[in-house]
Amino acid sequence: MSSSSPSVFAIERLWVQFPDRVDPALEDVCLDIEPGDAVALTGPSGCGKSTLLRAMVGFIPGLIQAEVRGDIRIKGQLLRDADPAEIASHVGLVQQDPEAQICTLRVRQEVAFGPENLCLPVDEVNGRVDAALEAVGITHLAERDTTTLSGGEKQRLAIASILAMDPSVVLLDEPTANLDPDGALTVFEVLSRLREQERRTLLICEHRLGPLLPMEPRLIVVDKGQIVHRRRMRRREDLFELGLRAQWALAPRASAGAAASVAPVVVRDVSFDYGLGSLLDDLSFSMEAGTVLGVIGPNGGGKTTLLRLLAGLESPRSGEIVRPETHRIGMVFQHPHQQIFERTVRRELAIDGFLSEADETRLLQHAGLAGLHAAAPLSLSLGEQRRLTVMAVLRRAPDLVLLDEPFIGQDRNNVAWIVASILAARDRGAIVVLVSHDIDLVASLSDQVIYLDRDPVVGAPEDVFSRLCEREKEAYAPGYWDGGAS
Amino acid sequence: MIPRVAYHAGTRGLHRAGPFSTSLLLAGMLATVLASGSLLVQLGTLLLVFLLAGISGESVRRYLISLRFVWIFAVVLFVAQALSIREGVTVFRVGFAITDLGLLSGGAMALRFLVILSGSFLFVLVTDPDRLAQSIIRLGVPYRYGHAVILALRFVPFFRNELRTVREAQKLRGIKPSVRSISGLRQTIRYTFVPVLVSGLLRVDSIAMSMIGRCFGLHPRRTTSHRIGWSAADTLTTLLAAVLIGVTVVSRRYPWL
Repeated sequence: MSSSSPSVFAIERLWVQFPDRVDPALEDVCLDIEPGDAVALTGPSGCGKSTLLRAMVGFIPGLIQAEVRGDIRIKGQLLRDADPAEIASHVGLVQQDPEAQICTLRVRQEVAFGPENLCLPVDEVNGRVDAALEAVGITHLAERDTTTLSGGEKQRLAIASILAMDPSVVLLDEPTANLDPDGALTVFEVLSRLREQERRTLLICEHRLGPLLPMEPRLIVVDKGQIVHRRRMRRREDLFELGLRAQWALAPRASAGAAASVAPVVVRDVSFDYGLGSLLDDLSFSMEAGTVLGVIGPNGGGKTTLLRLLAGLESPRSGEIVRPETHRIGMVFQHPHQQIFERTVRRELAIDGFLSEADETRLLQHAGLAGLHAAAPLSLSLGEQRRLTVMAVLRRAPDLVLLDEPFIGQDRNNVAWIVASILAARDRGAIVVLVSHDIDLVASLSDQVIYLDRDPVVGAPEDVFSRLCEREKEAYAPGYWDGGAS
Repeated sequence: MIPRVAYHAGTRGLHRAGPFSTSLLLAGMLATVLASGSLLVQLGTLLLVFLLAGISGESVRRYLISLRFVWIFAVVLFVAQALSIREGVTVFRVGFAITDLGLLSGGAMALRFLVILSGSFLFVLVTDPDRLAQSIIRLGVPYRYGHAVILALRFVPFFRNELRTVREAQKLRGIKPSVRSISGLRQTIRYTFVPVLVSGLLRVDSIAMSMIGRCFGLHPRRTTSHRIGWSAADTLTTLLAAVLIGVTVVSRRYPWL
């Protein structure tokens, strides 16, 4: 690519190899991004999407050690020897976890942080902060403590913080992965606005492609470090043709006939709070053996708290949870590294009892972790760590299985393995409680659904989704994120 | 057990003063209890801390309860000191002599401990950590160090939550912490601190990328758009700090106080 190219980004034969990996993370990636372009980047977990974004802002190899070949140019200028901080004034990266990128204590200061680093005059800093807050619709939160924001608010704050730098290109790494459907919807609205009103160049790494359809983005599909498809995405059918549309809604929900050996769990008039106003209020429902309860709702609505109450990690302020003391409980936490303790995958699995080599090989194979028995668990990708924790927890054959967002960071094959594991647990008679923002999966797997918010809804999936529809919570409708949002 | 120390937003009393003047007041209190040998002055300083907590809108009862472990430790200090000092006039006997010097020394030590802890606790309650860090930068401390303070403050609740979650994960997996043998202790430490450390390192990595991704460190100086003014409350707080220093000087000059 010559320096006279109009491309805002020109990537030529990019090749990235991490020192601790056998295969390269990226191989011969070529990509041009024109000014004002919208690019949707998708592909299975671990395919190299985040690596590409981090290389585009110079974090690789600037901050993360890796061997890099090929050229990346921004507006014709080579990125190779530039300082990541210098690059940041041209390109902004919004990372996946908004919580992990907030570095100040107040919303306004967080947005001002970048412009202040650019040594801009105070008036200009304030002007940029006001404009960025307005662009993402959080002007009313300007004086709030950053720790008190919801997940959706934090993600909008992260986007505003990047916009205040006024970069020509904004890169977003799965900006809705940790958000509830309403929060995700708001972020997609912000992105549409940035594209339509500000003509920003956007590169969005996403699994939920339906909501991006109105932007008619260029779709780039990455697999095993290579770009395998490129096309303009205009219709939902484009996703079908590339096999990118989920099929979970077609999965049968009926149980194979559970052995009802596990006693039911009854939640009766349970109320709970953390001293900051009521979180759960007079919640009642019951769960039978061999059933799956899907728990959905906004960030901060009490989903994880409900799991903690069921696990006995918290006690209700009032009401009661009736379950036998003998119930074996298995819980998969949202952040897998919090429940990984051993030095190798083999030793980690051995915590829960002896495992023959043949069984170990079979388990690892099914979980997409084949050949990793001697690997250090914490050196695995987050998706791999999560599957390891699911496997370790289910190995103990718990009577009550509590899963907190097990699908984050999983590609279709790995989601299929987790789904199969959930169904196997259900079919042996366990009670499964599944917290997830993936409405389609919850709808297809659950026998009963709880929507947790100030006014919770409990019932059969069809009833709950129909009542949410009446409340104009369209983002909670099954199928919505599969293209219906367009 | 450590009291759960955190800033409470408020508009009364010391909340109206900025971090610079509240820092001076804390320094004044510490200087008073450390430099003055007078029990009366030390007791007065302790009462002043509670008075200021009340004026600042904190429930004094809740404040005292949250310091319960500090009280217990202060009593332990007092008793240990009273029992260990043999010099002076015997006041009473409990198998061995308890002397006036032992009681005075124990009282002074317990009061110092109480003022240092309760004063620092009050400082944290009324001082917005963000404004404190901004003040540090404004005082001329290089901005990298000022931001290190802000980050440290952000990490306190993070580590507390991580530690709790890791312990809960251990409990649910049937892992019981053991300190009865060296191997058990080693395993407990590894099972607890490795996950917490990994969480911390992951978080540090992300925040570092986020900061560098917004040009942190690009220039030797940076703009500070956050303005911190000086109010009447600041003047009063600074005067109070000066009074404390004055009392200390007087009490050293007139030890009978």
